[in-house]
Amino acid sequence: MRLEIGNFYVKDIVFGEKLSFDGGVLTINKDEALAFIREDDRITEAELYIAKPGDKIRMCPVKEAVEPRIRLDGRGLFPGYTSELAPAGDGALHALKNCSVLVVGRHWGGFQDGIIDMSGEGQKLTYFGQLNNIVLVADTNEEFEKHEQQKKNDALRRAGHKLAEFIGACVKELTPEDKDIYETAPMIKRGAEVEKLPSVVYVMQPQSQMEAMGYNDLVYGWDTNHMLPTVMSPTEILDGAIVSGSFMPVSSKWSTYDMQNTPNLRALMDAHGKTVNFLGVIMSNLNVALEQKERAALYVAQIARSLGAEGAVVAEEGYGNPDADFVGCLVALEDAGVKTVGVTNESTGRDGHGQPLVTLDEKCDAIVSCGNVGELIELPPMETVLGELEALRRDGNSGGWDYDEILGPSVREDGSIILENNGIFCGDQVCGWSPKQMMEF
Amino acid sequence: MKKAILYVNQFFGQIGGEDKAGIEPEIHEGQIGPAIQFAKELKDTEVTHTIICGDNYMGSNTEEATAAILDMLEGKDIDIFLAGPAFQAGRYTVACGTICKAVKERFGVPVVTSMNEETPGVDMFKKDMYILKGGNIASKMRKDVKAMANVANKILAGEPVGSADEDGYFARGIRHQAWRKDGKPASERMMEMLVAKLNGRPFTTELPIPKIDRVEIAAPIADLKEARIALLTTGGIVPVDNPDRIQSASATRWGRYDISGDKRLLGGEYKTIHAGFDPAAADADPNVVTPVDALKELLKEGVYKSLHPYFYSTVGTGTTESEAARMAREIVPLLQEDHVDGCILVST
Repeated sequence: MRLEIGNFYVKDIVFGEKLSFDGGVLTINKDEALAFIREDDRITEAELYIAKPGDKIRMCPVKEAVEPRIRLDGRGLFPGYTSELAPAGDGALHALKNCSVLVVGRHWGGFQDGIIDMSGEGQKLTYFGQLNNIVLVADTNEEFEKHEQQKKNDALRRAGHKLAEFIGACVKELTPEDKDIYETAPMIKRGAEVEKLPSVVYVMQPQSQMEAMGYNDLVYGWDTNHMLPTVMSPTEILDGAIVSGSFMPVSSKWSTYDMQNTPNLRALMDAHGKTVNFLGVIMSNLNVALEQKERAALYVAQIARSLGAEGAVVAEEGYGNPDADFVGCLVALEDAGVKTVGVTNESTGRDGHGQPLVTLDEKCDAIVSCGNVGELIELPPMETVLGELEALRRDGNSGGWDYDEILGPSVREDGSIILENNGIFCGDQVCGWSPKQMMEF
Repeated sequence: MKKAILYVNQFFGQIGGEDKAGIEPEIHEGQIGPAIQFAKELKDTEVTHTIICGDNYMGSNTEEATAAILDMLEGKDIDIFLAGPAFQAGRYTVACGTICKAVKERFGVPVVTSMNEETPGVDMFKKDMYILKGGNIASKMRKDVKAMANVANKILAGEPVGSADEDGYFARGIRHQAWRKDGKPASERMMEMLVAKLNGRPFTTELPIPKIDRVEIAAPIADLKEARIALLTTGGIVPVDNPDRIQSASATRWGRYDISGDKRLLGGEYKTIHAGFDPAAADADPNVVTPVDALKELLKEGVYKSLHPYFYSTVGTGTTESEAARMAREIVPLLQEDHVDGCILVST
C-alpha cells in the first residue's frame, strides 16, 4: 500500500474573506465555517477562535483535536464515520501541518475532557500547546448528557472532524511544500535484504472500555469494543481509519490528531529496511472483562507468531483497568518468544509512591514510560479562557475536583487552577510524542 | 544566611582512629573536618556546628547517642542537617542514616548524607532521605562533598531536586514525570530500546518492575454462624448528596454509612459516584454493588451471626495503590474495634 501525504506548513492563521492557504498563512472565512458547523441542527451555539503558541489562552473543556486534511480522490477523511465506508491507507491526501482543529465545550465538560494552555508553564504539558489551532467553541442540544459525567460528545466531536475536512479542502488543488510517502509491501514479499532484518509488529490498544456504544474509539466506524485483534496496515491508521473516542481520563487519550500522526508508527516505518522489518499493525483493544482481555492477548500473540514476528511494541491508550490488557499482552508475546517493548504511562499518585501499573510482571523488562497521571499541577490565571473553566471542577473532570480541605477547589476565583495531570488534554502522549519520562526521585 | 549542622565520626572529626571509636557525642561550634569544605560549597549558608560521635559508641548505644545529639540540637536554628560523607565505612553509614532520620523526624528539617553503594546504610535508609552515591575511599571527599552540597543547595534555595540519576543519589522509591534534557520523544526511545532488545544489546527500561507487595490470603472463617461480617466497596456507593465528597476517580477520600437495624439501600437515596462504569444499574438499585439486601436476608437465615453497622465506600478507578493502602489503614482499626471477623469487599 502507498500513502502519500502532501504537507502544507501553517505559520499563521487569520480570519478573512475566503478560505485559502497562501505563503504559510491559512485564512478562514469565519461565517462560512460556522454556517457549515450549524448544518448539524444539534449545534445550538458556535464560535471560532485562533490559538497560537505564546498566546495567553487557556482552553477548557477540550474534547477533540483533528489535523485538517483533504483526500485528493474525493473519498472522505474518516471512512465509516463522517463519510462513506471505503478503504483507507492507499492514495494521496493533503495536510495542513503544525495545525489542528480543537473542539471545546462552550459550557459543559466531563470526565474525559481536558485543558490546553498556549503559553506559560502549562504550554509544554500537551503537544497542542505548540500547534497553530483553530478552536471551535460550541454547545449542543444533547440534553440527555448535559449533566452526565461521561459524555459521548457526539455532536461536538463530529463537528471537529467535519470542520477539519472543510478547512483542509483549501489545499486540495495546491502543490505541497513536501511529501511524506509511506509505502508497505506485502509481508511475505519484501526481498532478502529486508527479510534478514528482525521482523516486528506494532500492537495498538485503543480505548474500548465502554460497554455502551458511542464512547469508544472507532475503526472504520466500528466500535473497538466489538472487535477482536486484527491485522492492519500502518498507512490505514495514518489515513483516518481510526478516530478517537470520548472515554478515559484525557491525559491517557490519543486524539484523532494523534492517530493521524502516530509518531511510534512513523518511527517504525522510518526504521523499516534499516534496522527492522516492520510487518505491520495488530489492532487490539482494551475491553473491561477479564475474559475479553485474555482473549485479546491470546489473539495478539497468535497473530504475531503466525506472521513470524520476532519483536513487538505494545502501546495502551489508558491506565488503571487497561494496564491488565497491557501487561497481559506483553506477557503473552514474551511467552510466545516475541521480544517486546511496551509504551505506557503510570499512576504513582501525587506523592509518587504508588504502584506504577495496576498489575506488574517481571517479563515486562523494556518499557518506555511517558507520564504520571496523578502528578499535581498548579497553573497561574490566564488572560483569556475559551470555553468555561468551571467545567474543570464542576463536571467531574478526571483531573479536577470541587472540594479539597487542603488544596481547595481545582478552579480558584482568580482563575488559577490546580489539577492532576489526568486533566491535561492528551498530555501523556504514549502515541510517541512524549518528551516526558518517568524518573526515580 | 541559612544555617547547616554537620555530623561526622571520630575520624573525620579529627579526634582519632579506631582507638577513639568509643567516644560519646560532642558538639563544637564552627567547622571541623569536612565542614570546612561544606562551608565553601554551600551557598549563603553557614555551617554553625559540627557534631562528632564515635562509630562504636553510636553502633552499640544507638538510643543514648541519638537522644544526646537531639538534645544538643534542641533550640538551634537548622535549615539543613548533613552527615558524612561516609564512603564505604559500614558502621559510619548506619550512624549517618540513623542520626539523619532522627533529626528529620524530630525537627522536620531536610537531611542529606552520602554513602558508597556497597554499605548497609544504603538499603536501610535510602527511602527516608537523600543519600548521595558516594565513593569507596576518603580520597573522594571533595567529589562527595560537592555532590551533597549540590542537592543541599537546591533544597535550601527551594528549587526542585533533580532525578536520582541526574543528581546522583539513591532512588527513594518515588516516581514522578520529568522533562528529559535532550527532549527525546517516546517514539525514538521506543525504537532504540526495541533495536537493542532485538539484537541482544543492553538497554535500560524506564519502568523497573518493583517487587510486588503480595498480601497473603487470610485463613477461612472457622464458623460463619458465629462471625461478625462487614461490607466494603470500591464501587462508589454513597448517599445521593455524597456527604464525604468522595472523588469520582483517583479517590483519596472514603466514607462509612449506617446500615444498622432495618435500614435499606434504595435507589434515589443512594447512588454511585464511580466514573469507571455505567452507573445506570447501580443508581437504580445500589444493592447490586453493595448487597445490603442479600446480607440482611442471610442474617435472618442465620448464615452468619451479625452485621457491622456501617458499610464503607470509596472509588477504585484510577486510585493509586498507596492511597488505597492508606485508606485501608484508616478503616481497619474501626473494624477491629467492633470485633469484625470477616469482610466482604465488593469491587466493580
